[in-house]
Amino acid sequence: MILGIQIVGVLFGLAMLYITFLHGKRKEFTSKEGIFWIVAWVGFIILVVFPNVLDFIASDLLNISRTLDFLIILGFIFLIGISFYNYVLIRKGQKKLEDLVRKLALKK
Amino acid sequence: MNVWVVIPARNEQKTIGSVVASTKRLYKNVVVVDDGSTDKTKVIAAKNKAIVLSHAVNLGKGAALKTGCDYAVKNGAVVLVVMDADAQHNPQDISQFLEKMKNVDIVFGYRKLDQNMPFIFKVGNTFINHLTFLLYGIKLHDTQCGFRAFSSASYRKIRWHSPDYSMESEMISNAGRYKLRYVEVPIKTVYKDRYKGTTVMDGIKIAMNMVWWKLRR
Repeated sequence: MILGIQIVGVLFGLAMLYITFLHGKRKEFTSKEGIFWIVAWVGFIILVVFPNVLDFIASDLLNISRTLDFLIILGFIFLIGISFYNYVLIRKGQKKLEDLVRKLALKK
Repeated sequence: MNVWVVIPARNEQKTIGSVVASTKRLYKNVVVVDDGSTDKTKVIAAKNKAIVLSHAVNLGKGAALKTGCDYAVKNGAVVLVVMDADAQHNPQDISQFLEKMKNVDIVFGYRKLDQNMPFIFKVGNTFINHLTFLLYGIKLHDTQCGFRAFSSASYRKIRWHSPDYSMESEMISNAGRYKLRYVEVPIKTVYKDRYKGTTVMDGIKIAMNMVWWKLRR
């Protein structure tokens, strides 16, 4: 992997670790969630520093010549997945809000 | 016939007074659903003796109409008439709707595509009208006109999920699904604010929703 990208990737991973730590300190998520995200960011940093770890998946299994391409594809899949998840959450929230506001209005 | 007129309103303090007053002269049960207005809409509506229901936050026209219609049905409405709060609809036209309601389940008002209708509305309306016919087999001159009447029995079938302007089309989609008998009535419309109401983005969203509702059926 290109050194420049690796440096950016590591710095990004470290920044996200710090942000996760701050949110955890403010108790904005549970300790289980905190541990999950710490493992995720550490895993991310390891993959950036040692991209060869993924070679057997990327080149041997999936026939993707460059590990960077594989990571980009993974990134897109993750973004699409999380967008859909956010969509579902927002729709649920909208429905709950509407039901509550209507209930209050009809209390008359 | 126990007729209830339901008027969703948001920041319509300039017109709600005259709309309610002129409607109350003709029909006893007038419900205004104030959808999170930041002006004096609900105060003026109440002063003119409308039944005022108030949303704590703005939810959208579809949600406001559902609140009003649910309330009306709960209180014994047999026929529901829905109209806009911005004085674009003339309450005197309601009698035409009620006359037609004797033989059908739902009456759609339609605005004539005359020179007073802003050009962008004409184009958008024409497109959505054609799309409605293509998807649901329902031929209407004006699928986006908010002046309509339906029975409370029909309301249970056409009751929509959309909280916003898409509800005009969703109502039609549901009417098509349940094969409700319908008819159209021409109405006069006054366009006071060229930039209010359904925008181009709303129109695109409505069109996409119409395809989705068709697939969902």
